[in-house]
Amino acid sequence: MRMVHVLTSLVGTNCELKVKNGMVYDGVFKTYSPECDLVLDAANIKSPGPSVGLRQEDLVDSIIFKASDVVVVHFRDVDFNYARKVSTDTDNFTDTAVGGRINGEHKEKDLEPWDGGRQQHMVSGSLESLDTDVSNGWDPNDMFKYNEEQYGIKSTYDSSLSTYTVALERDNSEEFLKREARAAQLAEEIEASSTYKSRVALENDERSEEEKYTAVVRGEREQHTLNREKYIPPGQRNREGMSWGPGRQNSPRLVQSSSGPPRPGLHDYTPSSGADQRVVNGGATSCPSPSSRYQSGPSPLPPRAATPTRPPSRPPSRPSRPPSHPSAHGSPAPISTIPSRRMSSEGPPRMSPKTQRTPRTHRVPPGSRVPPGVDFMPHNAPGEVPVPPATRSSSSGGTWSSVVSGAHRPRSPRQNSMGGASPGPSPQTGSTPVEPVNTPRSASSPTASPAPNMAAASSAEVKDSRVQATRQNSPTVNKENMKPLESPPSINRPLSKGPPSMAPDHRKQIDNLKKFSVDFRLQSSSNPDPQFQQMVTKPPQDTGEKSKQLPLDKGLEGSEGPVVPARSNKPDSPGAPSPSSTLCPAPEQNRGPDVTSQGVQTSAPNLSGGAKPEDKEEDEADQMRKSTLNPNAHEFKPRVFTPQPKPATTPTPPRPQGQPSPSIVMQQPQQVYFPQMYPLTPVSPGVQKSIIWKSPAMYHVQMPHMTLSQSKPYRTVPNMTQQRSDQHHPQGTPTMMHPAAGPPIVAQSPAYSAQYFTCSPQQFASQQLMPHYQSQAQHVFSPVIQGQARMMAPPTHGHPGQLVSSTSQYGEQTHTMYVSQGPMPQQYAHPNTTLHPQPSATPTGQSQQGVQHGGNHPAPSPVQQHQAAAAAQALHMGNQPQQQMYQALAPTPPSMTPGPNPQSPQGSFSSAQQAVYLHPQQMQHGYNPSHMAHMQQVSSTFRSPSLHSEYILYEQAHIQSGMVPSHHGNPGHPQMMLMATQQQGGPQPQLAQNALNPIPVSSTAHFSYLAHPQVQQHHQQQL
Amino acid sequence: MAAPGPGEYFSVGSHVSCLTCLGQRLQGEVVAFDYQSKMLTLKCAPSSGKPNLNDVILINLAYVSEVDIINDRTETLPPLASLNVSKLANRARSEKEDKLSQAYAISAGVSAEGQLLFQTIHKTIKDCKWQEKNILVMDDVVISPPYQADNCKGKEGSALSHVRKIVEKHFRDVERQKSMQRSQAQQTQKDTTLSS
Repeated sequence: MRMVHVLTSLVGTNCELKVKNGMVYDGVFKTYSPECDLVLDAANIKSPGPSVGLRQEDLVDSIIFKASDVVVVHFRDVDFNYARKVSTDTDNFTDTAVGGRINGEHKEKDLEPWDGGRQQHMVSGSLESLDTDVSNGWDPNDMFKYNEEQYGIKSTYDSSLSTYTVALERDNSEEFLKREARAAQLAEEIEASSTYKSRVALENDERSEEEKYTAVVRGEREQHTLNREKYIPPGQRNREGMSWGPGRQNSPRLVQSSSGPPRPGLHDYTPSSGADQRVVNGGATSCPSPSSRYQSGPSPLPPRAATPTRPPSRPPSRPSRPPSHPSAHGSPAPISTIPSRRMSSEGPPRMSPKTQRTPRTHRVPPGSRVPPGVDFMPHNAPGEVPVPPATRSSSSGGTWSSVVSGAHRPRSPRQNSMGGASPGPSPQTGSTPVEPVNTPRSASSPTASPAPNMAAASSAEVKDSRVQATRQNSPTVNKENMKPLESPPSINRPLSKGPPSMAPDHRKQIDNLKKFSVDFRLQSSSNPDPQFQQMVTKPPQDTGEKSKQLPLDKGLEGSEGPVVPARSNKPDSPGAPSPSSTLCPAPEQNRGPDVTSQGVQTSAPNLSGGAKPEDKEEDEADQMRKSTLNPNAHEFKPRVFTPQPKPATTPTPPRPQGQPSPSIVMQQPQQVYFPQMYPLTPVSPGVQKSIIWKSPAMYHVQMPHMTLSQSKPYRTVPNMTQQRSDQHHPQGTPTMMHPAAGPPIVAQSPAYSAQYFTCSPQQFASQQLMPHYQSQAQHVFSPVIQGQARMMAPPTHGHPGQLVSSTSQYGEQTHTMYVSQGPMPQQYAHPNTTLHPQPSATPTGQSQQGVQHGGNHPAPSPVQQHQAAAAAQALHMGNQPQQQMYQALAPTPPSMTPGPNPQSPQGSFSSAQQAVYLHPQQMQHGYNPSHMAHMQQVSSTFRSPSLHSEYILYEQAHIQSGMVPSHHGNPGHPQMMLMATQQQGGPQPQLAQNALNPIPVSSTAHFSYLAHPQVQQHHQQQL
Repeated sequence: MAAPGPGEYFSVGSHVSCLTCLGQRLQGEVVAFDYQSKMLTLKCAPSSGKPNLNDVILINLAYVSEVDIINDRTETLPPLASLNVSKLANRARSEKEDKLSQAYAISAGVSAEGQLLFQTIHKTIKDCKWQEKNILVMDDVVISPPYQADNCKGKEGSALSHVRKIVEKHFRDVERQKSMQRSQAQQTQKDTTLSS
């Protein structure tokens, strides 16, 4: 045995084998036989002398040596552990290895047949009995008994454990009873403690391992998504728009997201998102003011859509918008500069804006709030002047602020007169920064480096400002805002209420919307006229410049020069721009409260929305008063005014914009957005509307114009879009929505127009639903915007603004008529949103968005189209939105609003509207919440007769600029007009080509847009 | 097993000395003894001097003229460990291949210097083989005739530098040995001359 073992362990070793004759063989020991015959491989005869080497022919493959022939075998340097090591290393735990240790010395275990538990029958019976036996094993006594019977073992067990301890002696003494009671008390306390319960629960938790650690819990995820939504202010807001209930919940989340992490992470996107939010907020803020008056609404709207789209359509009106947009959009640098300026010069203002924002931010994401803040700032500036503007500016962040500023600036002059210079600058700076942030991001995607950087910086600043503002502002700003807020709150609150209600109940939202519409109408009507007129006069230039700037930013044309100038003009015309901004801020401030509420509504709008909406409505009147009383009120008016001035200027700018396809696109989208905005506003009281509005606006912008121009930017700036998409995704899985929506958008656009007309009720329903879409759409938009901002920063801004403006316009048209339309747009927006998701993800997303926008546009398009048809669509759109925004703003400042409305019902209003639109755009761009608010405001403004008139005026103005007169008629007969416009727009919405149709009508710029839309669509297809 | 069991003439663990028919004296510890074949296995001190190794001698007692038991086993035998047969088989195969490849190289007309170098390298690096007349080390470094350090080619790296060092050292050692032999030869000559 040992021989076998030894020889086995020697296998594979070299050996020298001597045979009887003395010959020595050298070889590798291969194996052996039981008779000890040995086998050597590669054996050779070893010569006595030194072996120089082996010859191949000398080797024998293997030689078998009989044991009888072998004398000695010498194995050299054998490692006995060689094989053994392996066994221990490689197969230590197999049955073979374990058994092998014994290596034959052990006998295999004797197997015993299983008796099937027969032996157990005696004790436990069948196995089944074990399964069914409820008792926890054997009773100790049974065990003792069994052992005693079977094995003769007698247990000494004593239950008292006297061996180990001393038995407790019970007695009835008082002391014992006390101790016993004490012990019982302690036991109760311990058992009642949460830690004890939790630990007991751990032990007694009946949940399976899988449930605890592996199972996919839907509920939690949903919650997470909600949280994410909150984090993603834009998307969340949009989503929130979908469901207000969630929105409220989200509001905190949104605030968090907005305030912090999400945006930072997405720097560009975050900014964009922030911008979006801001825009929304601006919209919201504007909306609040708009709700109170058109000014606010218009302001938000104008900023986005107005600049790009309107500029083309109407140079004069557009200028106002364009400026804002340009800053945001296009020219990141301008924006950045502006922001920096704002920061430096307006440091305080920003603070105030921030503060204003803070409230918003508190309620909602900073970004969104920021825009509102911007709006607020302007509003505040008028009313409160410096502080509000600052806040507004900060709030507006970049684009929105710029937009707002543009709009506000026109107003600002008045505001300045009213509020003071400070508001103006702050608004400008604030607006510009905001715009930069928003637009930059959007632009950054396209242009990437500059715009993004700017945007990022601005965003960062904005964020910081927001944070600060939120904190700092919370007190001061809040106070200021509070005043303004009161008026805005009314608007916002109604809106917000609407949204919350929407979430829970669409009916409630609708009711709220209706209320808002009523309120808005009143306020808007009063405010828009004077301010708008003023705005028109001044703003037009600004807008024109802005529009130019936007184009420039887009790089489409030298219009950028104008854009910069526009910005510069804004600053230069601190009076105008700053006023506008201030005005906007003022409205925003008024909104501020609203914004906060709106912000909550928008981002977290739902949260504050519920309570605030009501307050807003109520506050609207108060706001109006306060606005008048307070600088804020003036500011609001200024906004309206600024828009008006812008409209005047815008006409020219629009053309430039028109040249820059992006700008045009933006404008169209804006228009679309406005309609959407209106619907949204009506639908979702606060946030939802704003969200919806934003998204629609965004989408619209992107879709029609954006698609054309934006598509390229997006494509070029995939990153932006992606980021946006990311943001969007987190917010509300916008991407998903977007993709789906994408395709529909195109077709939808036409449908939208029709829908607008037909589906007022649907709109509401759709609005509710829309919010979600819009939210998504917003997400998309945000990406789009970013892309635009980067690529076409101006367009993006313009888009937002345009969208807003468009929406506001639509809202005007729709509000009276458009309540239903609003919903319709929203529905469109939804498709868009769905489409957008794709866009958001990538350029295609934009295209989709563009398509969506188109879809949205259809609804908005009616108005937009009308405007666009005028050729100044973009500009007009922007103007109109602005006007609306302004009107909304004007409403916020009650006194102001009335004035503006009367003053420039038509021309002035158009200008005012432009300004307003700018604000809305800005607001929307900067703050989604603001957008929401703007939307609301816009919707309210639209709803308000005066607003309608204003809108009509705007339309007229647009028409004048190049728009179709029918538009003017539209106000009065929105449906009719819309129809006509829709038809015009219909083509656009339907397809990029559609957009082209309008574009041609409107201007070359439109054509460019058209081209872009087509391209975008193609891109989408490609994607 | 203090005493040889039935059929066991030698107790395992005892030291024995025996003289073969060829006049070779062998001494070692008894590892195993097969009575049927009269084969005795002894474990001896390693020829290489490495402590962990042993020389094993398999002796056919049929050709042993003299067997002396130096001392009996003093300690109980450790249990036999299980062996990894597959590993042993692999060792046998690889050893065979090595030897065959070596023979191939030699038969291919590789110079004696090359063969020596190969053996030297093989001591350090097992992964070396002949490729025609080139030595392929670790499939990375190729040493072509005349097998000087400069002839080492391959990817720059530790492997190449390492092989070069081995080659350089090999030739230094060879030179030293030659000089030693010469000196010895000279001394012998001197001695002879002196003696003569």
